[in-house]
Amino acid sequence: MIPSIPSSRFFRVSYLSYVTLFFIFLITPLVVVAAFSFNDALFPSLPWNGFTWDWYLGKGDPRLGLFHDNALLDSIGVSVQVAIVTTMASLALATCNAFLFEREQFPGKNFLYVLMLMPLVIPGVILGVSILVFSSTVANWFEVQFGIEIEALRPGLVLVTLGQFAFLTTIATLVISARLRKFDITQEEAAMNLGASRLTAIATVTLPFLKPALFGAGVVAFLMSFENFNTTLMLVGSDAPLTIAMFDRLREGSTPVLNAVSVLLMVGSACLALVSLFVQRPAKP
Amino acid sequence: MSDHASASSADAGVQEDLACTLLSKHFGDFTAVDGVSFSIPRGSFFSILGPSGCGKTTLLRMLAGFQQPDSGDILIKGQSVLNTPPNKRPVNMVFQHLALFPTMSVAENIAYGLKRKGVPKREHATLIDEVLAKVHLPGYGDKRIDQLSGGQKQRVAIARCLVLNPAVLLLDEPLGALDLKLREQMKIELKRLQREFNTTFVYITHDQSEALVMSDQVAVMNKGQFEQVGTPQELYYQPKTAFVAGFVGDSNQYAGKVQSQSGDAVTIVTEQGVRLLSHANQPLLAGAPVTLFVRPEVMQISTSRPATEQDNCLAVTVSRVLFDGAQSRVQVETAEGAELTVALPQTADFQALEPGRSVHVSWQASQCLCFVAPADTKPLGTQ
Amino acid sequence: MSKTSGNFNRTQYRLGFWLLLAPIVLWLSLLIILPHIDMVLVSLRERIASREYAFSFGNYTAFFTEPLYWNTFVRTAVMSIVATVMTLIIAFPVSFYIAKVLTGRPRIALFILCLLPFWVSELVRTYGWMILLRETGLISGALQWFGLADQPVEMLYNDVAIMVGLIYTSMLFMVVPLVTTLDSLDNSLIEAGYDLGGSSFHVMRSIVIPHAMPGIMSGCIVVFMLTLGNYLTPTLLGGKSSLWFTEQIYTQFITRFNWEQGAAFGILLLILSSLIVWLGLKITRQSFTRVMS
Repeated sequence: MIPSIPSSRFFRVSYLSYVTLFFIFLITPLVVVAAFSFNDALFPSLPWNGFTWDWYLGKGDPRLGLFHDNALLDSIGVSVQVAIVTTMASLALATCNAFLFEREQFPGKNFLYVLMLMPLVIPGVILGVSILVFSSTVANWFEVQFGIEIEALRPGLVLVTLGQFAFLTTIATLVISARLRKFDITQEEAAMNLGASRLTAIATVTLPFLKPALFGAGVVAFLMSFENFNTTLMLVGSDAPLTIAMFDRLREGSTPVLNAVSVLLMVGSACLALVSLFVQRPAKP
Repeated sequence: MSDHASASSADAGVQEDLACTLLSKHFGDFTAVDGVSFSIPRGSFFSILGPSGCGKTTLLRMLAGFQQPDSGDILIKGQSVLNTPPNKRPVNMVFQHLALFPTMSVAENIAYGLKRKGVPKREHATLIDEVLAKVHLPGYGDKRIDQLSGGQKQRVAIARCLVLNPAVLLLDEPLGALDLKLREQMKIELKRLQREFNTTFVYITHDQSEALVMSDQVAVMNKGQFEQVGTPQELYYQPKTAFVAGFVGDSNQYAGKVQSQSGDAVTIVTEQGVRLLSHANQPLLAGAPVTLFVRPEVMQISTSRPATEQDNCLAVTVSRVLFDGAQSRVQVETAEGAELTVALPQTADFQALEPGRSVHVSWQASQCLCFVAPADTKPLGTQ
Repeated sequence: MSKTSGNFNRTQYRLGFWLLLAPIVLWLSLLIILPHIDMVLVSLRERIASREYAFSFGNYTAFFTEPLYWNTFVRTAVMSIVATVMTLIIAFPVSFYIAKVLTGRPRIALFILCLLPFWVSELVRTYGWMILLRETGLISGALQWFGLADQPVEMLYNDVAIMVGLIYTSMLFMVVPLVTTLDSLDNSLIEAGYDLGGSSFHVMRSIVIPHAMPGIMSGCIVVFMLTLGNYLTPTLLGGKSSLWFTEQIYTQFITRFNWEQGAAFGILLLILSSLIVWLGLKITRQSFTRVMS
C-alpha cells in the first residue's frame, strides 16, 4: 500500500500499469482532438493526409480557418463577455457571503447555509429552465399589467449571465469562506489597534490575505462560465456563446475547424492555469 | 522623537498613564471583571497575574477598546477613553499570537500604524530603522514574517507598537508560545525595552515567574477582582489573601483548625492532627477553619534534631527525592500521614538522602502564614 | 476625526450585517427559490385556451401513462448510478496512488495531469471521444489495421459509448475530493493498522475507507448530479438512441414549447436527484453541509 509497507513486485507493477492506463485514457481524447486540427482533410478522421495550418488560417470555403471564421470568433467574444461579468459578480457576492457566514451569528444561519449550497445539487438544465420559467412569468406580468416589454427577461445573454451567476456564486463562496476561516481575526484587531478603522483594516489586512482565494475562485468561475453548457442551453437567445455555437456545428457535421477551436481553448486554459499557479505561489524575495 | 516629548509635556500634571475606576464587565450571568480599580504610575511595568478565566484578557481588551465595560471608567493620561474607538486610543497591544500581517514585510508591518497616523512617508524609513535598532533587529526591514524566528517575531510585534509612541503598551501573554529557553531571554529583553522606551507596559500572564521577574508592580487577579496589588516581593513574602499565597510561588498547603492564639502566633491542628505554630495577620477564633501555607525553601532539613529551639519541628520519613538541579526537592511524610515538600539544598550532606530515611524538618512560625479557609477570605484583603 | 461612541459602533456593525445579508437573500430568492416555486406552479396547470390555464395534475399523469417518459426516467437514473459507481471504482486506486504512494514533485505533477482535461470544455472532451469512437474514427481504424476487424466498426451511438463519455467527464469531480480526503489521512494510521496485525484488505476497509467517506460521498453526489443533469454527452455520444431525461425536458421546452409538461419533468428530475442524494447521505451517515464543504 503505502511505500513504508512492503508489497509484492507483482502488485507494484500491476498497480503502476493501472495508473498508467488511466492517464492514457485521460489524455488520448485531447491529443486526438489537437492532432486532427492539423490534418489536411475536410473531416477530422483517418487517414492522415499530412500537416496543414488551413484550419487556423484558411481564408475561404471549404477550408475556412478559425481566425477568419467570424461566426466562431463572435461567439468567443460573447463567451468572454459573459464570463467576465459573471466572474466579477459572483466574486463580489461570494466575498460578502464568506464574511456573513464566517463572521456573523444570526438565527437561521445554518438554514441559509444549506440553501446557499443548493445550487450545487440542482442539475444545470433544471436551474436553467426554472430561471427561464420564472423570468417569463415576471416579463408576462409586466406586459399584462403595464404594457412594458422587458427584453432582458426573455432568453438572451442577460439570462445566461444570471443563470451562470446563480451557481458559480456557491462555488466561489465555498473557496473564499475556506480561506477566510483560516484568517486570524486578531490581525484585524491589531490593525485597528494600530489606528485603522474597521473598513481600512479589512481592506489592508483581510483582503490581501484573501487574494489567493479570490484569484483562484475567479479563475474557476471564469472557466466554468466559459465552458458552461447545460444552463446556457436553456437560456440562450440569438447571440450564442462558444459552447452553444460549437454544439450546433457538431450536430451539423464537424470540420477540423472545431478541432482548431478546441486547441485554442486548451492553450487558453493552460495559460490561465500557469498564471494562477504563478500568482498563488508565495512571492520569493 | 518629537511626538513623545510634546505628549509628555502637555499633560505633565498627570502622574498616571493609565487609571481605571470600578470597571465591570458581564457576559450574561458571568461576571468577567468585577469592579476593578487601579492606577499605573508613568513609565512602570505593571503585570496582571491570574489563572485562565480570571478576567484578565477581558480587562485588557477593554483597555484596548475591543470590549465596552458595563460600568466604570478608563482614563489614559487623565482623559476618559470610553467613547474612543479602538483605532483612536493611544494604547497599542502586542497580541497573544502577535497578529503580525503575513502579507507584509517587517518594514511594512511597522509602517502600518505610521500610515494610519498620517506620519509623512519620508519619515517612515528613519523611524523604522530606529525602532528596529532598538529591538536589536537592524536591517531586518525587508524580511518576510515567515522568515523570522519566534523571538524575532516578538521583537517585530513590539517594534510595530512602540514606533507609535503609545501612552501604554498592552501585552497579552506574548511569551506563551515560545520555548522555555527563549522565554527566559525574552523576559530580560522585555524589561530592557521597557526601560529604554520608558513606556508604561501592562502585561497580562498566568505565569507567575514572568510577572515576578519583569514587573515593578503586579496585580493578582481572581474571579474578576484584584486580590492584591504590590511589588513582586510583597506578593511573595506578604500575601494578603489565601489565593495570593497559593498562586504566587509554591507552597505546602494544609487545612486545619485554630486551637489557640497568643498575639501574632497561632497554634493550628491540621486535618491529619499535626500541631503547628504559625504567624497570623488578624485575630482568629478558636476552632475557626484555616489554611496554612509553608514555602518549601523556608523549611530546614536536617538528619538529626536541630540544636536550637524551632517553632515547628517534625520528625518525618523521606518518601521520594525529586532531583532537579538547584530546584531539587524532597517529599517527606509525618507519622500522621501529612505530606510536605521541602527544598533540598545541593550540598554534600544530603546527597545520600534516599526514600525511607528518617529526617527532621523545622521552621519558624514567622515564616508561614495562615488564612481563614476560603468561604470567607474576602475581608482579609482590606485588613 | 470625530469621536464615535461605542453604541454608534454597534449600530454600524448591525448595518454591516444587513448589508451582507441583503445580497445573499436577493440571490437565493430571485434566482433559486422563486424560480423553482414558479416551476412547480407551472407544472401544475394545463392550458385550456390561449393565455388561460387551469389547475391540473395532467402533466404528471401524462408522465406515468406514457411508457416512453418513465422508461427514459428510470433508464437515466439507473445509468447515472452505474456511471457514479464506476467512476468511484476507477478513480479510487488512482487517487490513492496520488495521495499516498507518490511523494514530492511526481505527486503534484500527476495531480495536475489529472486536472488537465477539465480545464477544457466538456464539449471538447466529448468531441475527442466522437473522433475516437466513430465509424471512421481512430479505434475503428486501429482494429482494421491490426486485422481484428475487416470493415469499419461503429462504436458511437450505444450505451457503452455514453457510459465511457459520462465516466470520463465526471472523473475530476471524483478524483479531487478523494485525493483531498486521502491526503489528510495520516500515514502512521495505516502503519499502525499493519503493526496491529491488519491485512491490506482489512486496513483498507477499516481505516482508509471510513476516513475517506466524506470525500467519497461528496464525489459521488457531485458526479451523480452532473451525470443525471448531463445533456451534452448522451446527446452527442448516444445520438437518437440515448433516451436521456434531460433531452425530454429540452424537447418539451424548446421544441414542443410545452412548458407545463417540461416543468413537470424538471420537478420530477429534481425530486429524483434529491431523493438519491438524501438516501446516499442517510446510508453513509454523512451530513450534507460537511460533505459539500
